[in-house]
Amino acid sequence: MNRTDKPLLSIRNVCVDYVTEHGNARAVNEVSFDIYPGETVGLAGESGCGKSTLAFAIANLHEAPALISEGEILFEGRDILTMSSAQLRDFRWNETSMVFQSAMNSLNPVLKISEQIIDVILAHKRVSKQEAWSRAEELLATVGIHASRMNSYPHQLSGGMRQRVVIAIALALRPKLIVMDEPTTALDVVVERDIMDELFELKEKFGFAILFISHDLGLMGEIADRIGIMYAGQLVEMGTAAQILEQPKHPYTRGLVGSFPTIHGPRVRLEGIPGNPLNLLQTPAGCYFQARCSDGIDKCLKHKPQLKPLTNSGDRLVACHVAVDMEVPA
Amino acid sequence: MTVSAQKPPALAALQSNRFGQVMKKYLSVIAGFYRGNPTALLGTFIVGGLIIMSLAAPLIAQNEPNKRVARGHQPPSAELFFGSTRSGKDVFSQVLHGGRISLLVAFGAAALTTVIAVLVGISAGYIGGKTDELLMSVTNIVLVFPQLPLLIILAAFLGQVGPLIIAVIIGSTSWAWGARIIRSQTLAIRNKEFIISAEVMGESKARIVLVEILPNLTSIVVGGFVGTSIYALMAEAGLEFLGLGDPTVITWGTMLYWAQSNSAFIVGAWWDMAVPGMAIAIMGGGLALLNMSIDQISNPKLKTGAYIKIWRKQKAQMLARRAQS
Amino acid sequence: MGSSDCEVSFMGFILRRLAFYLAAIFVAISFNFIMPRLMPGNPVDALFASAMGKMPPETLDAYKEMLGFVDGPLWKQYFVYIKSVLTWDLGPTIMLYPVPVTEVLAAKVPWTVGLAGLSTLIAVFIGVIIGTYASYNRGKFVDSFMPTFWAFVGAMPQAVTALFIFFLFALTLRWFPLSYGANPDLDPAFSWTYISSILHHGVLPLVSMVLGGIGAWIFNMRNAMINVLGEDFITMAKAKGLSSRRIMTHYAARNAILPVVTGISMQIGFVMAGAIFIETVFNYPGLGLLMFKSLESRDYPTMQACLLLIVVFVLIANFIADLLYLWLDPRLRN
Repeated sequence: MNRTDKPLLSIRNVCVDYVTEHGNARAVNEVSFDIYPGETVGLAGESGCGKSTLAFAIANLHEAPALISEGEILFEGRDILTMSSAQLRDFRWNETSMVFQSAMNSLNPVLKISEQIIDVILAHKRVSKQEAWSRAEELLATVGIHASRMNSYPHQLSGGMRQRVVIAIALALRPKLIVMDEPTTALDVVVERDIMDELFELKEKFGFAILFISHDLGLMGEIADRIGIMYAGQLVEMGTAAQILEQPKHPYTRGLVGSFPTIHGPRVRLEGIPGNPLNLLQTPAGCYFQARCSDGIDKCLKHKPQLKPLTNSGDRLVACHVAVDMEVPA
Repeated sequence: MTVSAQKPPALAALQSNRFGQVMKKYLSVIAGFYRGNPTALLGTFIVGGLIIMSLAAPLIAQNEPNKRVARGHQPPSAELFFGSTRSGKDVFSQVLHGGRISLLVAFGAAALTTVIAVLVGISAGYIGGKTDELLMSVTNIVLVFPQLPLLIILAAFLGQVGPLIIAVIIGSTSWAWGARIIRSQTLAIRNKEFIISAEVMGESKARIVLVEILPNLTSIVVGGFVGTSIYALMAEAGLEFLGLGDPTVITWGTMLYWAQSNSAFIVGAWWDMAVPGMAIAIMGGGLALLNMSIDQISNPKLKTGAYIKIWRKQKAQMLARRAQS
Repeated sequence: MGSSDCEVSFMGFILRRLAFYLAAIFVAISFNFIMPRLMPGNPVDALFASAMGKMPPETLDAYKEMLGFVDGPLWKQYFVYIKSVLTWDLGPTIMLYPVPVTEVLAAKVPWTVGLAGLSTLIAVFIGVIIGTYASYNRGKFVDSFMPTFWAFVGAMPQAVTALFIFFLFALTLRWFPLSYGANPDLDPAFSWTYISSILHHGVLPLVSMVLGGIGAWIFNMRNAMINVLGEDFITMAKAKGLSSRRIMTHYAARNAILPVVTGISMQIGFVMAGAIFIETVFNYPGLGLLMFKSLESRDYPTMQACLLLIVVFVLIANFIADLLYLWLDPRLRN
């Protein structure tokens, strides 16, 4: 089913390199995908696969030694990577906001949380301080924090409350897209459940799109409409949440899905993925996953597989010679 | 099986020798420290250069430092590179010979300080409890005391003190800062699992300190030594300038003292004052550069790597490509 | 977490610091007490050697008694001494007999406090700005030049820098006077002439002090900023689209200033040391010059009183730095 509406965010062939004296490490390697308005796209993969790097690239946040060397990132048609600093400042938080992994580290320890919510409002909208203040109180109420906490400092709040504050800040300007980089990884499961439920409600209420980045596929399955899998900087599989979790095609995806235990269902032996993550300064010819793959054929050693659609509708994509070859009827 | 070419016996012995392997490892660590690190190179060059020049003083300087070789306050010339003092002695020779003592005092005091700081810091950090509280109270009080006035009074009471005593009093009063830092690092390491497991295994405390803790403190200890050398050099010069040193011994500080007593600047003989002053400044600066590069080892964020230039170049290329398309 | 809990720990912190400073003062007093008794020979003779011939014998005896050189066990002497110090009864100076020590000290204090205090404020202010600028321009000329340059300037003995400035601006160019805190022909008053004379005389000493200390501030601030700029909340601030000015001041510098304030406590001793040299060179009538002069005339009692006063000022400065840190870092308040 080809979507007829225009994508909100269009990532096209983006490459992000980390420059070192020993050469460039390509952390994001020709990644392309779209996010449509209101949909939740999950991006999964192990540590170091490039998903956080991609998240930072979306708001053009990279500083030395990272460099976005190729590609375009189109937000409603405008290329973020060619924006001037003034346009970029306008764009940031207004259209796209971010929720980082550790709220304690994302909040300025010496400013009250009220100041940290208000300053982003005042930086983008011409409102009075009182208006900004009441808006901030509203936002805190939305995430379930009482207005009396406005004058608290970050260290005076619990972990869950801090994450809620960060989410409130992310909602401050009603952005169209929120990029969430491991928003619940630092929290215990009970708090995590609360936050996820709240996120769901907020999503329903305000209708923003989410790019949900995590290594926790199970969590992603609950909230994401579509899921993309990254490995060693490349997007290796993409599909709806159901497709990815129930019928993974890429060997890496299969490994990932297989490593998550389920509470329901029969007890199966957990399978890990053998081998180590790839050293990005010494990439092999051919498929990056070859050293850890049990299904490899000769082609895998020589030709890097491109992300190809498995069906005619173009929304089920895999970058794997074996998977693609299997699908094409003889 | 291939037959390897005949290696020279010494090399073969070295390569098969465990000692040789350890030496190679240290050498490559040192080489890594210097690669692409102009600060470290410059600092080492300056410090090493001055040390060597001072040690080789009798060889380089033609005149005896204490011998009257010219009229008083002669300006620098071809025979007297740095001119002469009020009493007609060769400033060049004096600054080289004086350097030996000044540097000896500076490094000696720094060594004493470092030893005390390590003893106090590790004991406080590792043993903990009441020992820690006691040591820290003492350290904090010593720390808060203004050093120079204290040194002045000590030196005044002791009379005109020679360089050895100066080194001792400097060395025994400057350890507080280093002790604090070493203590906090020891505390940080102490709670790491490999220490706890060593203790559980029954390793003696002394062995744990020497083998597990101390190696992790290397960069702090070395950095502390270098930093204290700078301070000791300046403190010694300061004390001698004020007249508290032994004016018959030639050091950079006493050169300043004599220059001041003879009103060098006022009569226009700037070299009498400027030469020892510059010597101290250059040595101190070189040590400071070394200190900065050692800091960068403990805190890699402070390093301005070569990658920044490569990054800028690639960014410019990327922008050019974008502009074309 | 009521506010009363905050106040308790707040007060607790201040009280602990005050107790510590009190202990340090006692250590200083005890040090002054012990020093003459540790020296070889008769301490009394050594201490008052330079007083011979200047003071009538009865006064000398009273002086000795006041400083604890009485008959009796050591602890009795100690008590007498402490009592004298705490009642601020330190007797006459030797070199300026019969002027009391306390009077001489009191006259010098404002000059040194003014010089040291003002120069520290200026050095911190300029140093922090340059350090911030250097941290924002890593890898460029400013960042590689500034710390290196100031490393060398800072390593130059303060006496020599002061002498050089003296030579250049006072002696040669005659832009500024050669010595004193103010024109000695003028009567001290709140008139503009006197005040401007103070300012005129103060410029060169002030510049020498600032030059000696500024390197450390540049270095501290630069390193602190570099550490802070690598933190996540800075990235979040950028992602929020805040102006770089707001990020630099409210997010980066506001956090980086904390280790710098801690550094103030370390630096104060160094500042006082510098004051001794600079006051000597410029004949500036402060505690430093007094220390030097009493050194020359071996006026030990005055020297010891100077030390005590300098220690007190260093502790006061430390305390102010503690309060400043408490005010700046909200994490300490709970």
